[in-house]
Amino acid sequence: MGRPHAGFERNIAIGDTVSSSVSLLDRDSSDPPFLQPDDARAKRLAVLLFEVARSLDHDLATALPKFEGDPKLEALRSLILEQDRAAIARLQQKFDDPRQFAGAVSSVLADAFTLAGARDEQLAKALAPILELATQASIRKNPGTLVGILYPLMGSVVRKSIAESLDGTLQRLNQAFKHSFSWQGLRWRLEALRSGSSFADVVLKHTVQFRVEHVFLIHRKTGLLIEHVAAPEVTSQDPQLVSGMLSAIQDFVRDSFEGTNKSGGGGIDTLRLGDVLLWCEEGPFAFLAAVIRGNPPESLHAALRETLTNIHDQYRSQLEEFQGDSATLGDLVTPLQRDLQQQERPRETRLSPWLWILPLVLLLLAGGWVIQRTIVRLRVDAYVQRLREEPGIVVANAELRNGKWQISGLRDPLAADPAVLLSQSRLDSKRVAFHWESYQALNPAIVLRRLAASLNPPPSVSLSLKGDTVEATGSVPQYWVERARTLVAALPAGSPKVDLSALRDIQDPEFIRLRNAIQGHIIAFDSNADRPARGEDATLDAVADEFRQLMGVTKRLGFSARMMISGHADAVGNETANLSLSAARAEVVRSMLKARGIAPELLTVRSAGPLEPLLAPNGKATAAMNRRVTFTVIASE
Amino acid sequence: MLQKKVCLLGGFGVGKTSLVRRYVQSIFSDAYLTTVGVKIEKRMVSVGAAEVALILWDIAGEDGVTGIRTSYLRGAAGYLLVVDVTRGETLEVAKSIQALVTSEIGSVPFLFLFNKTDLKEDWDLPEQSLEDLKDAGHEVLRTSAKTGEGVEEAFQALAKRMVS
Repeated sequence: MGRPHAGFERNIAIGDTVSSSVSLLDRDSSDPPFLQPDDARAKRLAVLLFEVARSLDHDLATALPKFEGDPKLEALRSLILEQDRAAIARLQQKFDDPRQFAGAVSSVLADAFTLAGARDEQLAKALAPILELATQASIRKNPGTLVGILYPLMGSVVRKSIAESLDGTLQRLNQAFKHSFSWQGLRWRLEALRSGSSFADVVLKHTVQFRVEHVFLIHRKTGLLIEHVAAPEVTSQDPQLVSGMLSAIQDFVRDSFEGTNKSGGGGIDTLRLGDVLLWCEEGPFAFLAAVIRGNPPESLHAALRETLTNIHDQYRSQLEEFQGDSATLGDLVTPLQRDLQQQERPRETRLSPWLWILPLVLLLLAGGWVIQRTIVRLRVDAYVQRLREEPGIVVANAELRNGKWQISGLRDPLAADPAVLLSQSRLDSKRVAFHWESYQALNPAIVLRRLAASLNPPPSVSLSLKGDTVEATGSVPQYWVERARTLVAALPAGSPKVDLSALRDIQDPEFIRLRNAIQGHIIAFDSNADRPARGEDATLDAVADEFRQLMGVTKRLGFSARMMISGHADAVGNETANLSLSAARAEVVRSMLKARGIAPELLTVRSAGPLEPLLAPNGKATAAMNRRVTFTVIASE
Repeated sequence: MLQKKVCLLGGFGVGKTSLVRRYVQSIFSDAYLTTVGVKIEKRMVSVGAAEVALILWDIAGEDGVTGIRTSYLRGAAGYLLVVDVTRGETLEVAKSIQALVTSEIGSVPFLFLFNKTDLKEDWDLPEQSLEDLKDAGHEVLRTSAKTGEGVEEAFQALAKRMVS
């Protein structure tokens, strides 16, 4: 730096004056008539002034015309300018000696920086790279210095950052614990496995549900509201009043707990009232207060902080000098509205099919059960009705007990079997139980059945009901008729009438012929002999033959026949002996018939002794006639 | 929208709160005064064509000057000093508060409000004291919470001085 800076205003001023003088001189030299004799003095003065000017500014030394010679003038110049020269020399020395120059600059540096900083950002821009380099150099040289400088700041920043990240972790842990052991938790665990994200994240995704309802941007110093945005359809109190009160409370908290909070500047960070949450983010000149309903994620803190930082970056000076006129700031609604976040629990838009299938199935089951029961009841009713119509069955009660239909009443053993009827009724036999008391019914149908059971009628007889009367028709042997009469007579009082009058005795001509033929045969015996007389074999053959034919006839008619062999004796001799003789004669004939192929069990032996003599037409019994054996045909079952 | 923070100050029981009660919007209960020590109210005032929202910080002063939380004064664009004319000592309290405020936030517009002027026979202050204040260049208004006298004017005057 050989010469002072070209911008010395004082010098320029002097220069201007000198210039005008120069023009005066120029005029003088070009126009001699103006130069009067006593002008020489003036010229000398002008030259002197030129010299002064030249000594003050080197530029002028070349620009100004030179006036040579005149040693007196030189002497005068040195005399007049001596002090100035000394001063200039001192200045020159100050400039030339770096130490002295640095001393001079240092005394004005602070003021110069202040002025330059106030004018524009040029100084800051110029200094920024130098500061960066300086910082880097400082760190290279001794990192400890910068750490020492930043430590108090770092401590607070790190603490806050750790606290927030811990908050987030705790929130996640809480949620995770809360949902670890529920059914939903299991589902979320599966989802985490499937999607490959952490369980805590899945829990957060499902549970975080919040809505930022208000965001206030509040000027810190005045507590005045700078801007306020609210979520749609959220009613609010006067935001200006709210922001004033919020600011006051922040101040209050800060004042009250300043002693315990060394980090400084810490007002309310979080305030919870029921499910309403107030989150404050503090900046140097303004703070953001967000009113949140629900459980916001920790990331909202970051979003609020970013908004606040951006606003500060953009409107730093306006915020600093805020006097209550929000018009001095630009559009703040848009950035604030970005913080009006909300997250709703994803609503199940698609209803789970189980939600309607299950009730439907239940409804169908219930309906089915009712219908089933109704059907069963109808079937039971029909079945009971059927039983009631059945003769010989009296149903007293039918009810459902212990899952089974209990049917009780009276039943004639000869009545129809309820179990058989049940099998025709489409009811589950396992679900029906019977409790019958036996009784004897007087119902004509049952009486008919009872007679049929007791009388065992031959096929030629038919028993039937005619109105309330049991009627027997057909041909039967007389013995059966007799038995039927006995039985009917023994029926209890009140029984239906039994008509046997239509029964006819069997009058088969073949039967009668053979019976008469058999009964007409007489086997003669010699006196005191138990074997038939000579020549009786043919008679015995005939008897055997005819009996065989008779059996064929009776079989055709539906019954059987027996033959009774009666042995007789004459009245001669001992009566007891005669009895024995007659018995012997009958026995002999029986064995002889047996020998002729007649089954002995069809033959009955009877000894009449001499007690049934065969009388001659004159009324006299002859001994020879009474030594005999006779036959009687008996119809039987 | 122009907003101005205005502090409402005065000794204990001078009737600050009741003085403005009818003239301001408020959503907070008086309980804030005893708990937080301040209650925020709002008053809209027109100054020329401009609408100014005066955000009133009704600051509790339990025992005069020392009870005031000075952090509440910060950023105030003006203030009202309420004096109870039936208690002469409240003027001194008001004066000390004024000194406190000036030392805390510098010189900002303010008004002295001589309250309870409706109680004419109970005046405990000489009329001269009012004149003295006026002579000292302060603006003084007579107010009454009972009649509402001077309250509107006080807001209007303060707003005008703060905006200009």
